[in-house]
Amino acid sequence: MSENELLEEILKNLQAINTKLDRIVGKKESFSEPEKEDITDSLDIMTLLSLPDHLRTTATTLFEIGPATAEEVSKVTFKERAVESNYLNQLVRMEHVEKYREGRKVYFRIREK
Amino acid sequence: MTFTLAVHSSKGGTGKTSIAVNLAAAYAQDGKNVCLLDVDIRGPSLCSIFKPETQFWVNDLLSGKRGINDTIHDVSDEFGTEGKLFVGYSNPDINEIREIARKDRNWQSAALKNLISGKKELANKNIDIIIFDTSPGVEYESINAVAASDLVLIVHNSSAACDNCTDQLIQGIYSPLNKQCAIVDNMYHQNVLETPDEKKFGIDVVARIPCMCNVATRNREILTLTEPEHVFSKSIYTAKDKIDRSYR
Ligand SMILES: Nc1ncnc2c1ncn2[C@@H]1O[C@H](COP(=O)(O)OP(=O)(O)O)[C@@H](O)[C@H]1O
Ligand SMILES: [Mg+2]
Repeated sequence: MSENELLEEILKNLQAINTKLDRIVGKKESFSEPEKEDITDSLDIMTLLSLPDHLRTTATTLFEIGPATAEEVSKVTFKERAVESNYLNQLVRMEHVEKYREGRKVYFRIREK
Repeated sequence: MTFTLAVHSSKGGTGKTSIAVNLAAAYAQDGKNVCLLDVDIRGPSLCSIFKPETQFWVNDLLSGKRGINDTIHDVSDEFGTEGKLFVGYSNPDINEIREIARKDRNWQSAALKNLISGKKELANKNIDIIIFDTSPGVEYESINAVAASDLVLIVHNSSAACDNCTDQLIQGIYSPLNKQCAIVDNMYHQNVLETPDEKKFGIDVVARIPCMCNVATRNREILTLTEPEHVFSKSIYTAKDKIDRSYR
């Protein structure tokens, strides 16, 4: 197998894992208890500045364009949809961003307090 | 496309307000529709230059109590500018300033969202240029304004302290936010033996303005309107042209 093919194979696998992770995070959210106490703060500019480069760009874009899908964010950042989806879900896990469904689409927005 | 500038500096008293006001007027005189917003909530200045009769302030925009339309005022007739000139003031009442100083991160996060929505509304109102006059250093309102802008206009004075702090701001704030930057080297003390650099900290210097007493003594006027031939005014018009050529 050539190096390129190998890389492609790895990328494909990573994307498959991403999609699965997305689904798991989505499910976990819909099961989470609504009365769960809200202890984290919403994302402010100083906290945003302390994020690693890739997450900061994603978070900044979400501030600029408002609630958006991973696809919409990726059009602004010129990254792969799957990559942005990964970053957005990291931000969800860090509780800076919240994820919600509208119809068949998954939207992300900066968490509000 | 609406173009948004944040006039910022590491230290106080470098000339941010003077440059923000005169640049806004220069753009308006050039036929652009301009909105100048005082986001120096902790040290409001525009209210002392324009003497507003207002009920709502930039404070109310940031806190989400009012939209941008209630916050800004048309001063084009008063100043006879070619294009529209709108100004939004921050509230000089000390109780209001104290109130803002105690706001937490959640409030500041919402404030950034409100500022960005305000900016989008201004774009729909055909505003060409938005200028934020900010507080010096790393204040929440200022960094929010930087985050909401297309270009940071750094007003710099050459002193050791200002040099160090400006460099820090570039490394720690502007670059991480991917902001374009330009420098105005203000209150420049001319030295005939020195050839002035085109760049500072790797950033283009769009104007170098000498220190002139009558800029300070005439600071209730908007020199770009009352005396466009003044060295200060000419420098501002040059900066404007350079910004238009290189950044817009
Ligand atoms: N090039 C200049 N030469 C002399 N005085 C200046 C110059 N630029 C600004 N000033 C004066 O310096 C003082 C501080 O300026 P200001 O615009 O209020 O600074 P900042 O907003 O950064 O605090 C004001 O009195 C102003 O008139
Ligand atoms: Mg000022």
